[in-house]
Amino acid sequence: MDVLVGAFPFMTANFALLLEKTGEHLVISLIPLLAAIVVGVPLGVWLGHIHKGEFLAVSITNIGRALPSLALIAILIGIVGIGMLNAMIALFLLAFPPILSYAFQAVDSVDADLTKAARGMGLAPMQVLTKVELPLGLPMIISGIRTAAVLTVSSATIATIAGSGGLGDVILNQVAYGMEGVIAAALWVAVLAILVDQVFVLLLKIASPAGVKHLQRAAVAA
Amino acid sequence: MTESATTTMPATSTARSTRNSSIVFDNVTKTYPGQTAHALDSLSIEVRSGELVCLVGPSGGGKTTALQLVNRLVDLSSGEIRIGDTNIMDLSPIELRRTIGYAIQQSGLFPHYTVAENIATVPTILKWDRKRIEARTKELLELVGLTPVENWLKRYPGQLSGGQQQRVGIARALAADPPVMLMDEPFGALDPITRVAVQDEFLDIHRAVGKTTLFVTHDIDEAIKMADRIAILKPGGLLAQYDTPAEVLARPADDFVAEFLGAERGLKRLALTTVAEVLAAGRDRRGSSPVAAAAGSTEAGNPVSAAEWPEVSATMTLREALSLVSAAHAQGARVMDAGSHLGDVTLHELICPPADDPARTTEGARI
Repeated sequence: MDVLVGAFPFMTANFALLLEKTGEHLVISLIPLLAAIVVGVPLGVWLGHIHKGEFLAVSITNIGRALPSLALIAILIGIVGIGMLNAMIALFLLAFPPILSYAFQAVDSVDADLTKAARGMGLAPMQVLTKVELPLGLPMIISGIRTAAVLTVSSATIATIAGSGGLGDVILNQVAYGMEGVIAAALWVAVLAILVDQVFVLLLKIASPAGVKHLQRAAVAA
Repeated sequence: MTESATTTMPATSTARSTRNSSIVFDNVTKTYPGQTAHALDSLSIEVRSGELVCLVGPSGGGKTTALQLVNRLVDLSSGEIRIGDTNIMDLSPIELRRTIGYAIQQSGLFPHYTVAENIATVPTILKWDRKRIEARTKELLELVGLTPVENWLKRYPGQLSGGQQQRVGIARALAADPPVMLMDEPFGALDPITRVAVQDEFLDIHRAVGKTTLFVTHDIDEAIKMADRIAILKPGGLLAQYDTPAEVLARPADDFVAEFLGAERGLKRLALTTVAEVLAAGRDRRGSSPVAAAAGSTEAGNPVSAAEWPEVSATMTLREALSLVSAAHAQGARVMDAGSHLGDVTLHELICPPADDPARTTEGARI
């Protein structure tokens, strides 16, 4: 308990250090996350739109789930060597599966009657995607990104073993910072993960068309 | 069989209205990949301009396939489909579909679009200007009876009842004023009471706008009520009979059709004629004393005298009137219209309607 209480004085005393490590932490976690979004969302949406590749989307997810991030980083040290790039590749591989599979599911699971009605009325495939599938799938696509974001931010801690910096430097270095430092940095990571998650919730609120917001309110009310 | 053979292809392209929007199936066959049996086998029918034709039949009869071939959601295996004078293969699928109204079961409304946005779907992709879209949307909501329109424009489908959703679905299908309408079991998911109401409204709309309509239903009663002509498909996608409801009910082409129509075929026929028609025909035959015949039988120990016969409205079908007469243990019914007594019809007239007259036109059957 004393250690837990001691974490707060540590935070005030080492605020500059924690800020610096937070900066590094965000860089090594958000860059792979953004890369996974840029690749995973369009790929998942496209596969969902043509209703193909379920096997691919699901297998990648399962492999992603089965591989512990620690093992992944250890394997990558062997392949790309030590350093920030190594950590970011590992985190990308961690973030990619949920983003891909949620994006696939989001579009693939849009009611077939709706897309049939849309096509039957003469909407071109691209219009079916932008007017029906993407708006209806948006909340689920964002869910995938949120899952990946929390995963990446928290796992970036382990990336320290690849020498990438970040808050993991503090957490894994009890000798230098004491138990108070370890707890302080760990709390810091937890708050950071929650904050990043909430940023995407906010983003969903801002980006949703009025009709999607209405649907979400209706879902909450039900 | 000769019946259906002669009526399968009615006299083509004669006496058309100025704009020909008939749908012609010319020897149309569809076989889905990987299947040996045909989904639709050499279908040749013509839906005349302005006509409402119901495709009925059991599952596996290919009725939805036939419908989706018209807007090319399904590709033809062989044969030809023409709308007006245009072969549907001469247009791109997207172009073609924008000239065809399409309504499906459960309405297919986009849940994230308001009523107004749903109706405006096709006009929007056709890039109509905003004023025109707005005016058209309001006009259509009035047409389908969702008034005052301001109350409905901004609602979402989730806030509407099934019947209201289906009305919006019809409005959406009519939005760009397509000459042709395809309807795939549009009322299939509605409860019986709502279903009857929406059917009646749709018939009114159909009479008002006169779109050539192909209407898929598995409900033979719905087909009898709605259709100018009925095409009955049997498993394997073969056309069993194509004729008016009265003719199909009076003379089923084969055992399959007779069985499909069911044991109540004779009663179903009574739903094609209204009490008013019987009354008119009765006056022609008997002159001025319509009750004379019935009065005689009342004296023969019948429990209810003519004066106590149940009252029926002139617009009722014979089937409905007969139901009331039977419930009252009477020998006939008093026909009322807006409170005035128009005359009486006897039980005999109700069960032997003038509908048996083969010269009666399709239009006559619908009024």
